[in-house]
Amino acid sequence: MDPDLVLVLRRATVAYDRDPVVEGVDGEVAAGQSVALIGPNGAGKSTLIRAVLGLVPLTGGTIQALGRSPQAARRQVAYVPQADILDAEFPVSALQVVLMGRYPRVGWVRRPGAADRQVAARALAEVGLAERASARFGTLSGGQRQRVLLARAIAQEPRLLLLDEPFNGVDALSQDLLLAALARLRAGGAAVVMATHDLGLAHLACDEVCLLNRHQIGFGPIGTTLTPELLRATYGGQALQLRGDGVIVARP
Amino acid sequence: MSLLEAFGEGFTRRALLEAVMVGGLCGVVGVHVLLRRLPFFTMALGHATFPGVVLAGLLGMSLFAGAAVFGAVVVLVVALLGARDRVDDTSAVGVTLSGAFALGVLLLSAQAGFSRDLTAYLVGSIVTVQPGDLVTTAVVGLAVLATLAALHKELVLGAFDRGGLAALGYPVLVLDVVLLLVIEATVVTSIPAVGTILAVALIVAPAATARLWTERLRATMALAAALGATSGVVGLTISFQWRLAAGATIVLVAAVLFAVSLVVAPRHGLLARRLAHVGPGSAPTSSRA
Amino acid sequence: MNLFEPFTIPYMQRALVEVLVLGALAGAVGVLVVLRRLAFVGDALTHTVFPGVVMAHLLGRSLLLGALAFGVLTAVLLTAVGRHRRVGDDAALAILLTSFFSLGVVLISRTRGFTADLTVFLFGRVLAVDRTDLVQTLTVAAVAAIVLAALHKELVLRAFDPEATAAMGYRTGTLDLALNLLIALVVVAAVEAVGTVLVIALIVVPAAAARLLADRVGAMTALACLLGAAGGWLGLAVSYEASVDHGVRLAAGATIVVVLVGLFLLAAAVAPLRRRRAAAGGHP
Repeated sequence: MDPDLVLVLRRATVAYDRDPVVEGVDGEVAAGQSVALIGPNGAGKSTLIRAVLGLVPLTGGTIQALGRSPQAARRQVAYVPQADILDAEFPVSALQVVLMGRYPRVGWVRRPGAADRQVAARALAEVGLAERASARFGTLSGGQRQRVLLARAIAQEPRLLLLDEPFNGVDALSQDLLLAALARLRAGGAAVVMATHDLGLAHLACDEVCLLNRHQIGFGPIGTTLTPELLRATYGGQALQLRGDGVIVARP
Repeated sequence: MSLLEAFGEGFTRRALLEAVMVGGLCGVVGVHVLLRRLPFFTMALGHATFPGVVLAGLLGMSLFAGAAVFGAVVVLVVALLGARDRVDDTSAVGVTLSGAFALGVLLLSAQAGFSRDLTAYLVGSIVTVQPGDLVTTAVVGLAVLATLAALHKELVLGAFDRGGLAALGYPVLVLDVVLLLVIEATVVTSIPAVGTILAVALIVAPAATARLWTERLRATMALAAALGATSGVVGLTISFQWRLAAGATIVLVAAVLFAVSLVVAPRHGLLARRLAHVGPGSAPTSSRA
Repeated sequence: MNLFEPFTIPYMQRALVEVLVLGALAGAVGVLVVLRRLAFVGDALTHTVFPGVVMAHLLGRSLLLGALAFGVLTAVLLTAVGRHRRVGDDAALAILLTSFFSLGVVLISRTRGFTADLTVFLFGRVLAVDRTDLVQTLTVAAVAAIVLAALHKELVLRAFDPEATAAMGYRTGTLDLALNLLIALVVVAAVEAVGTVLVIALIVVPAAAARLLADRVGAMTALACLLGAAGGWLGLAVSYEASVDHGVRLAAGATIVVVLVGLFLLAAAVAPLRRRRAAAGGHP
């Protein structure tokens, strides 16, 4: 397999009780590239992400991450969930959350060392939260928490990064900082896959797009794939509006 | 001595009658407990009304009065605690349960005859049931069933869609409290038969078993009542035969019925589901946080 | 009230060591139980260990061994039940818990001295702890403490973000089993001192109180251990004083629990004041 390819999906299908949740996903992501998973609610974006993480088994097709099965590749794959599902009252600081990203490298029993703390501090700085390192996670705003979770993923030093709706409910400043951090990760050779509703941000952050509505409708460069026709097919004909500069806004 | 042989004795007939009534009542109420996901709360209620029962016993008051008052206090405390920051519902119930229970133990320990009374409260003493107790059980049972029947559609809607019920103009909180009081009354009524610790079993198990066999609500209630009563009778019979603690035996019978149903019930049983799906199991959702 | 005088007597000294160790251990494990809202599972474990204790007693074997065997068995069972919820997790737990408990009651009901034995198993006899018991408790506590320290960061991660834990490659099922085993160990260690019914209080109450006052897991754990131990000490002192100086017999185990709940209520009263002061002084 081409060593430059971080993620390869070949007709990947996930079914639950014989009901396919998402099927026929086919595409490749190279190092430094970024793919947006776009589709309405229930399209299978989260399921696909879980399949790439090896958390749900495939019922058809294959997924190869870094030339290995998803389970084998986990050490090099990082996941950024939505921040609002976490307990806001949990007694941890922002830095402690970022440090959690180092646990797989630290291993069992041992505690994170000084080197780990440095990596964590740097990751936090990358998302612009260095001065909030000792604030309790729950005291940060939604956008800040999302940035902390990205910092945690950065601290894992991954080669593939998976994000689930990273811009949901996030303030403009945090959005910019997230985009900048993602760009730096890509410059460093990591590949990024993000599920998102926001087509405008998809244009800003990604060069490829995968359109999903329980099955794959398109997978390719964003310029040629994010077209009105394919979007209509993806969103099942829901109302779409065309803006002058070609950015299409859809109601998910 | 078998049940049949002992049937001539008054205490046997009373125990049998109590077992049937309590089993039936618990079955019906149990369906509502499951609908609203209240098993832990019911268990806590059983533990927490314990001091009320002890206090009432010591003061010579009606057990119901003591339990009712304490039960109301407990419900209030749990609600207040759970509403505070950083105290989640489960911990609120855990703290209240422990505190109330310990209080009950303290009250009892200060008296003589500690062990004997304690055991009766905790695991029941159905063979010492008096005619007066039977009357109480019957009266409470009828009152509970009448209430549940009268409020059936509101309670069911409230369990599924609290917001919807409120939107229709119903006093949601009042209905909640009514149901909690119904559960409380059922727990207290079960004490002579199975005690406070085991009351939750007789309430939850027959109903959980019934749910494995049918989807229709009224059928579930009828089936749960039948299973509860059956567990009572069979449990009592076995306990007579082998000289075992009656309340615990009744609970074990109910549990066995549940376990068997869990495996063999068509559609919801483990065997049935194994045969139905060929593909991989469900995606592992994050279990409780 | 004298907090030191009662403990010049040997049996009180042993009881004190027992409750200090148990209080601290239960507090530390309790932190994870509270953060993961597992109080019901913890409660279930305390009930399911009971038949093991009874069986060991009937067979004339070490109670600890019986409790341990059943503790492990039910920890495995509860982990499995927790992951395959169809009946409704709480219902299955309630049934499991009560049937095991009933099994214990049924077994013990065939013996004479039924009620007295039941009371001891349920509520413990901390004042009757002898040196062997103490050594056993300390051993079990040491094992539990080592396991807890080794797995601590992963258990906290699992409590905070189960999805990320799985994504990072950890098997959440194994971590859950580990925690359930830890809880079982605490119950086993506590069986003879405070009994199976009251140990849930040792696990949940100090940790719940610490939660109200601490902003970091580390501080919460330290505080929970402290409160657990303090509750044990105060409880013993109060129960001793009541019985010796005032002729009122207060069961020691229950007194400890009531003291712990009192400490919790104190924490609940103090917490908002603390929060207000922090908000006024520092950043929001």
